[in-house]
Amino acid sequence: MSVMRLGYVHVRVTDLEEAKSHYGNTMGLLEVANEGNKVFYKGWDEYDHHSVVLEEGGVGLVKLGYKVSESSDLDDIEIKATRFGATVERMAKGDNLSVGDGLRITLPSDHVVEIYHEIEYLGTETGRINPDPWPRFRRGVGAPRIDHALITVEEPALVERFFADVMSFMVSERVIVSNENPEVIGSWMYCAGTPHDIAFIKGPNGKLHHFAFALESWSDVLHAGDIFAMDDVPVDVGPTRHGITRGQTIYYFDPSGNRNEVFTGGYLTFPDFPSITWTADQLAKGIFYISRELNERFTSVLT
Amino acid sequence: MCKVRVDAEDVEVEAGLEETILEALRRCGYAYRWGCRRGGCGVCKVDLLQGEVDYRRNVSELVLSATERDGGVALSCRARPRGDVTIRLRDERLKKCYGILAT
Repeated sequence: MSVMRLGYVHVRVTDLEEAKSHYGNTMGLLEVANEGNKVFYKGWDEYDHHSVVLEEGGVGLVKLGYKVSESSDLDDIEIKATRFGATVERMAKGDNLSVGDGLRITLPSDHVVEIYHEIEYLGTETGRINPDPWPRFRRGVGAPRIDHALITVEEPALVERFFADVMSFMVSERVIVSNENPEVIGSWMYCAGTPHDIAFIKGPNGKLHHFAFALESWSDVLHAGDIFAMDDVPVDVGPTRHGITRGQTIYYFDPSGNRNEVFTGGYLTFPDFPSITWTADQLAKGIFYISRELNERFTSVLT
Repeated sequence: MCKVRVDAEDVEVEAGLEETILEALRRCGYAYRWGCRRGGCGVCKVDLLQGEVDYRRNVSELVLSATERDGGVALSCRARPRGDVTIRLRDERLKKCYGILAT
């Protein structure tokens, strides 16, 4: 069995029109559908129906969707999640626009994760026959796809065990209190050969720290920063580099205060990737490698 | 123009009609603890000691509850003064950021 990737992020926004301007004009996502108080988007290099869902009313995370490669994976994950003790229910085709049958799992941290195998295929903006490397008319940042999400959980070790035992994710990097005290206070896990497809840090259950868009290069990160200045998007930190994942980054806020990230770089992971460990005394360097400073905002702003 | 006075600091700035409390103080070179600046995190809450504010944009009940509003709490990144206001920061002092550039 295998989970292939983070397929969609569904977040709440306080004002749908402002959020549409951010995710459409600033981030350059393509609006593919709308339904009631929800709008669906995809990046130009994504072929599935959608990867971002905005729902008007409130702030924060509604759920994350992970796509599996075989329909039998759903049965397998259902058994493992039930055995783990998580709350699992079957979701039906049509519960989410264009998404097929699947599972809706409530993590020990109260976050909701959906597992699905089928979703409508729309294709990328550049197509599959003799494609150009990017579409000629991109808006704003022109984000090609989503990348990962970071959530806060009261018990990182427990949620890590869930993603390992139930979802067969592997740990790329982990932050522990100290060499003497191996309590896990953060964990970065992958399924797709990336540095991370989910990450969690110790904090209140049910909260979103950020979700990220993948960009192609460091110069695209700088270009994104220029767009943020033009559109008066509040920037949290960056452009800089992470020690953890080695990725390059800018953190910023959508018009409802949900934190986004543009992310590029980082290493490749394989099933035999040996996990990397950081100790809490080096956490600031792990998060922001260049400045080696955590701002208060980074650790206190959650939605 | 309305005046924004910061209690316990010798600071008073003017806010334009469309400006929020945070925008007015930032424009004048002042800083205090803020987060997303978009009404989502609640980090920039202040106590409203005098005056009235309104919110041009939606503010989630999850961030600022009706009880807090009634109790005189303002979300300063979204709150626009309606007339002169006096606010109090929570457990911090106002910082003047422009330093030697300040006139």
